[in-house]
Amino acid sequence: MAFPGWTTLKLATVSLIEHPLRTLLTSLGIIIGVAAVYSMLAIGEGSRREILERMNGIDARSMSVYPDWSRRGRASKRRPWRPFSERDLEDIRLIPGVFAATGSLSKEVPVVNEKSDWSAQMQGIDLDYMRANDLVLVAGEPITASDIERREPVVVIGQTVVRTLFRGQDPVGTRIKLNNIPFTVKGVLGEINSEGFSNRDRDNIMLVPRTTARNRIIGGNYLVRDHISGLEIVAENQDDMTRIEREVGDILRLSRGLKPGEAPDYRIFNFSANRQAAAKSKRTLSLLLAAMGAVSLLVGGVGVMNIMLVSVTERTREIGLRMALGARQSDILWQFLTEALLLSIFGGLAGLGLGYAMSRFSLSMDDITMVFSLDIAMFAFGSALVIGVVFGFLPARRAAGLNPIEALRHE
Amino acid sequence: MADSETLICCENLTKVYHQGQSEIRALDDVSFTIHAGEFVAIVGASGSGKSTLMNMLGGLDQPSSGEVYVDGVALSTLNSRQLAQFRNETVGFVFQQFQLLPKKTALQNVKLPLHYRRPRPDGETKMAEASLARVGLGDRTGHRPTELSGGQQQRVAIARALVGAPRLLLADEPTGALDSVTSADVMRLLQELNGQGLTILLITHDRDVAAYAGRVITFLDGKILSDKMNTTETQRARQR
Repeated sequence: MAFPGWTTLKLATVSLIEHPLRTLLTSLGIIIGVAAVYSMLAIGEGSRREILERMNGIDARSMSVYPDWSRRGRASKRRPWRPFSERDLEDIRLIPGVFAATGSLSKEVPVVNEKSDWSAQMQGIDLDYMRANDLVLVAGEPITASDIERREPVVVIGQTVVRTLFRGQDPVGTRIKLNNIPFTVKGVLGEINSEGFSNRDRDNIMLVPRTTARNRIIGGNYLVRDHISGLEIVAENQDDMTRIEREVGDILRLSRGLKPGEAPDYRIFNFSANRQAAAKSKRTLSLLLAAMGAVSLLVGGVGVMNIMLVSVTERTREIGLRMALGARQSDILWQFLTEALLLSIFGGLAGLGLGYAMSRFSLSMDDITMVFSLDIAMFAFGSALVIGVVFGFLPARRAAGLNPIEALRHE
Repeated sequence: MADSETLICCENLTKVYHQGQSEIRALDDVSFTIHAGEFVAIVGASGSGKSTLMNMLGGLDQPSSGEVYVDGVALSTLNSRQLAQFRNETVGFVFQQFQLLPKKTALQNVKLPLHYRRPRPDGETKMAEASLARVGLGDRTGHRPTELSGGQQQRVAIARALVGAPRLLLADEPTGALDSVTSADVMRLLQELNGQGLTILLITHDRDVAAYAGRVITFLDGKILSDKMNTTETQRARQR
């Protein structure tokens, strides 16, 4: 049953052109189906990429730990606000799969140089801080292990501080006073991406060795030696987040002397859990939409079959005549199959156009990202073709199986 | 006639239809021979089996028993593909209701059988134009059936039957839908074509129409009632 070529194609094309309205109405189901499948997949792919982008970012792999002071109960039974210690941090760094673990010990402090004064967030850091927060230097040197060990008065400043204090001068090597204590500017941070941190200027920051910060600016804590107010942990891999969260909990319970069953006096914020849930719901949504698209394609296919069956009945005499004139059964089969195929090609192309237009329109809407992808277009178009062949086959076979004598007598 | 080539040979043709419990013998043990170049009319009342016979000769229907030989080939040995080729190359059909495709021009209608010829012949348009000219419609090639009279439509149908240069023309009541004047026109055309050497088998219930043929086979209840040569006198009378 080799495809008999151009004659059949011409025949089918002519037959479709001779009935333009019927052709359009028949393809309508396919058009809408393909448009739906295309745009749903494009939306799905769009949100998938969006999520993927975020997941691969460092934010998606990090969790924060803070002491919890909001527990209920009698005041006398509440535990004091108890910070973490450098010891906790060292233990956490040993958990397999931890990419970076850092602490924060910060305070808003006045900062001055000869020309101006300002106020910025001082952050006492360790060696993991820069990479845990994805920070880069644009000038000077980073804070080193020996700076931390020797409690050096050195500082790395953010762009806002550079702008307000230096106004175009090179800050590296100059001296500034933090809380009236002289520090040497060792390096300058690049612009920090503050997307998602509303109303906070992340560039208004000064990094100093945590040892320096603790000893010379913030002061010690009466409960904890070498205290840290918050922890931030970045996993190498997002899949490990849950396990790392559990192990962090174990370490903290032990160091804070919590009895089994006792409520923790700290809180772990695992951002990835929220994100995963969001990603899951978006995936479910796009699956649902694609299923709807598939259903409309199916309905479109039934529409094609319906019209093709009507067409076969309508043209029974023509089929009988063609057979009497020497058409083989396969000629007739191909004639109708080609017609169904052309219908779905036409419907598929028009549907892609409509889907594309819809996706352009969606660009003006928030919250929906559509991706233009050849793969998706080809998939949507391909499913239209499959639908055409599958649903065109039954009518075509019915046409080919007609008895020419009865077909010729058909009124 | 006796020394000319045998084109059709029917041997003990029987066709039985089952309608519920009853059995209908449309053809009952029919045997006859037609030579190349003959113009034969099969005459009979409706239900006499003449249409069944034509369908069998045209390869559209199979006998319950017996055999049809056309040009020496037993039709029962052909598969459906070979039968399609047989209908395309050996036979030309003319129907009572013309059976033209209404949306196509005369030329396109005439070209139709050539679509199914393998290999596709060169110059299909020229062949179709020549065929239309042969039936006297060389100037009507671009007309659609609705723009033609009944007689002209039947001529287009005859041109379509002729375009593939068949050995045998099967005409089933070709004048059934025409008035008597137009009928005479069409019959004279068939006589003319027969004069050019074409073998014609005409099915009709009308003895006046049958009189144009050289030989009349009369059917009654699936059997041959008579098989007579028309005298040249009666034929000539019709030609006037």
